[in-house]
Amino acid sequence: MPKLTIDGRTVEVAAGTNLIEAARAAGIEIPYFCYHPYLTVVGQCRICMVEIQGQPRLAVACATPAAEGMVVKSETSERAREAREAVMEFLLANHPLDCPVCDQAGECLLQDHSMEEQRATFTTHMTETRRTFPGYESRLIGPHVIQNQNRCIHCSRCIRFTQEISETSALTYKSRGNSTFIDTFDGKPFEDPMSGCAADVCPVGALTVRGFRFRKRAWKLRSTPSICPGCSIGCNIFIEHHERVVYRFSPRENPGVNATWLCDYGRFLAESFNEQAYLHPQRRVSGQLARATWGEVLSALSTELKAARSLRVVASANLSNEELYLARELFGRHLKGEIVVPVFPGEPRRMKNGKREWLTSTDAHPNSHGARRLGMATVDGEGLVRFLRGAAGTTVILDPSAHPSLASEEALQALGRGPLVAFARAKHPVADLAGWLLPTPSLASNEGTFVSTTGSVQRFAPAFAPPGTVHRTATGAMSPTCPTIASPWGPPGEARPLWVVLSSLAREMGVATLDLSSPADVFALMARTEESFAGLDWEELGGQREQSSYRERQHVG
Amino acid sequence: MEAVLLRARGVPDSRVIATYLAAGGYEGWKKALAMAPDAVTREVTDSELRGRGGAGFPTGRKWSFVPKDHPGPRYLICNADESEPGTFKDREIIEHDPHQVIEGIAIASYAVGAKTAYIYIRGEFVRWARILEEAIEEARRAGFLGKNVLGSGFDLDVWVHRGAGAYICGEETALLESLEGKRGFPRLKPPFPAVVGAFGKPTVVNNVETLACVPHIMTRGAHWFASIGRPRNTGPKLFSVSGHVNRPGVYELPLGVTFREIIYEHCGGIRGGRKLKAFFPGGTSAPIMTAAEVDVQADFDACGQAGTMLGSGGVIVLDETVDMVEAAANVAHFYAHESCGQCTPCREGADWCKDVLDRMVEGHARAADPETLLRICRFSSSGMTICPLGDAYALPISSMVNKFREEFDRRIGTATPLPQKKLPVLPWAGPRPGFGV
Repeated sequence: MPKLTIDGRTVEVAAGTNLIEAARAAGIEIPYFCYHPYLTVVGQCRICMVEIQGQPRLAVACATPAAEGMVVKSETSERAREAREAVMEFLLANHPLDCPVCDQAGECLLQDHSMEEQRATFTTHMTETRRTFPGYESRLIGPHVIQNQNRCIHCSRCIRFTQEISETSALTYKSRGNSTFIDTFDGKPFEDPMSGCAADVCPVGALTVRGFRFRKRAWKLRSTPSICPGCSIGCNIFIEHHERVVYRFSPRENPGVNATWLCDYGRFLAESFNEQAYLHPQRRVSGQLARATWGEVLSALSTELKAARSLRVVASANLSNEELYLARELFGRHLKGEIVVPVFPGEPRRMKNGKREWLTSTDAHPNSHGARRLGMATVDGEGLVRFLRGAAGTTVILDPSAHPSLASEEALQALGRGPLVAFARAKHPVADLAGWLLPTPSLASNEGTFVSTTGSVQRFAPAFAPPGTVHRTATGAMSPTCPTIASPWGPPGEARPLWVVLSSLAREMGVATLDLSSPADVFALMARTEESFAGLDWEELGGQREQSSYRERQHVG
Repeated sequence: MEAVLLRARGVPDSRVIATYLAAGGYEGWKKALAMAPDAVTREVTDSELRGRGGAGFPTGRKWSFVPKDHPGPRYLICNADESEPGTFKDREIIEHDPHQVIEGIAIASYAVGAKTAYIYIRGEFVRWARILEEAIEEARRAGFLGKNVLGSGFDLDVWVHRGAGAYICGEETALLESLEGKRGFPRLKPPFPAVVGAFGKPTVVNNVETLACVPHIMTRGAHWFASIGRPRNTGPKLFSVSGHVNRPGVYELPLGVTFREIIYEHCGGIRGGRKLKAFFPGGTSAPIMTAAEVDVQADFDACGQAGTMLGSGGVIVLDETVDMVEAAANVAHFYAHESCGQCTPCREGADWCKDVLDRMVEGHARAADPETLLRICRFSSSGMTICPLGDAYALPISSMVNKFREEFDRRIGTATPLPQKKLPVLPWAGPRPGFGV
């Protein structure tokens, strides 16, 4: 554990820590472009120059390990300041400075450092014609990534990402010297399963994600910690949203799961979060769905379910542990229903953790491991159809996207035989059969925990209130649910998270133990009563804080 | 002095192994095999041989950095990527005496414990790559290379690897990358190649001329070698002299000879009886020296004290007709073209220098130009870049600006403004600006 002094502050760090991380630990920020904590150190941008006592030359902080008794001067060193200013001048000499029309503006390391490092009085003598790469200003290099080579600062992060993390080596340098540019290897399309991360690691606007380009300015986005619902690996993400519209997912650092990476499949699920096909609770009256209120739903449903001859419940591995637990207790224990969790293997997906080990997904749900941990019966597609074909009675479907077989003809036929209660968000054929159709919001309006492949319980936070609820703005004013313009406050409607409906049903039915007011309370109950969740504390699961500054959110640029 | 490294120049059939053996060739290799590897390194250390590639690092010390207890393979690399402007000495050695190099490689490999050696040769040197391959084959057939060399139990394979045409691949770590089949980007140091080199194994990279000195040290002794030249700057050195002299060429002279002697005695003075203006002592990467500095001794320490470096010993002589701004532009063009593009100051700075100097040459100099050049050079050198290419372009250009400032200032006095490109005026297609539209 070497102890060193940086700008007069003494800090003790683990052996092998470089000076950038050591300085961060001491609360000092050393600027960098090419350094990335999960990629090889190359020391080629030269902005992180620091002065080390006893060394005649300046050293790059990224490639210098902290040593016992080292005295480092970063911001207090005039030489280092001059050198950084010069490097900024070199980098900006050929940079187009098109920040106003650049999609990276607001989350650009070059922009940030030029505001921080360079004095307002600094003027460059660069009067030559700027280097450009004609034809490379807005080039779609793969299905998801757009390149603007003029903005590139040659930090090689994207190249190292494809070499070291996604292992496709899809990006490479071409040409030499000042004409060096980034291109796909062999000119092939950039079809990398993690291509979005190349744009993430790009410190400037040279690589940007096509789906997000020009949709929202980075500084307007709020970031809510969440878990990717794409598969069972459970990558940590931020849901980035503005005024109840989800714009993108970005990876959230977690060395044990996804380091700072996210696969394209998971990343582009963000768009689906804005889908809300069913807005109000509906009840089928003489063959037609008619709008109902939640109050009617709860009282009618509790009576109906209690009176049901037999009860079958199709739960889902997309539900949180809290929702699964409530469903198991309410439908299984109190109403003596039969409950299964369909599990769909889906396409194999993989992710690299901070130690550069591949994690593989076992199935296409974020919480299949949670369902197993809660001791619930899991079934595959065939088992699900067999389950539905069993003795006729009332059926409850908690999530139609639980398994693709639910949309199959056999399943729909079986469901048509008896009363059906369906919770749904996206369009699904079970809605045409349901006697009760109850809208649920996306994960962005829900809160709870998932269990990942590696067995860790991870928490996701609500990004915004469910559609239709009255929303309090930052200034304290109540925002109306606008009937004509959907965008500012999300779709109008009354979707409610499943846990809200289940705990309200429990209250309606007089099951006091399950009448809980938050997922945290449900989790506390689980921690008390479930052996597999014993000893876990909601507050310690992380993912509770909303962050607004992108720097804080993603110090990896 | 007697010819040592170039003793075969002018001898008929000098490249054939029989000729080499008749002149006492491979005796040093036999002698080394009878010694312990450490003793061989000690002998070279005692000779005070310093690397001839440019940096002048003591060769014996470089060999001793290889970890003794490293279990896996280790490599010796002969750097024949001679690409410094004005340097053509290695080519001369290979042309006349390839076995001298191979013997040096064999001895060095034995000293550092390498069983595989590579000769990384400049891609354009097709003829000399062939010469080396033929010589290696001859040596292998004669039992000087291959399995169980001369019954000693030591195995040694030597391979020729041709470069792909980048100046930067003469830098030892870029050379290693290129040898591994990657892009020629210099590596961050530490770790140094002696610890983590080619294919991640300990590696020693030595210049052709350095290795050619080694057989002579073995046969004639460290003491004899150290008696040539002056203390800490020992042995014979090849100077490749080019430019405005009467007899350009490669000259073998003891270290410590003055540049005056090289230029006026050995090369027959300046062409056309003109006056000397300046010279590069060791390729264009070394800061330029003026005619007033011609009495400096041509060795590592004396050049260092004079604020320049001996480099590869490629002396480029410029006479009074040379325009320094044009010469600087010429140098800048080379380095802007050869910068690898990896780190910021060199990639952006070398090209910027080139643009400024080109504009000055075209007659559009600006008052701030010399200061701009000095600023670019200052922040491209002394540790600002990963490899010495930053220094290699920055130090000569800044030395030219500093030592011949009046020529740069004269350009400013006679400059015309850069003609402005007329931008086409596009008709306004939208609504008229203003309120109430």
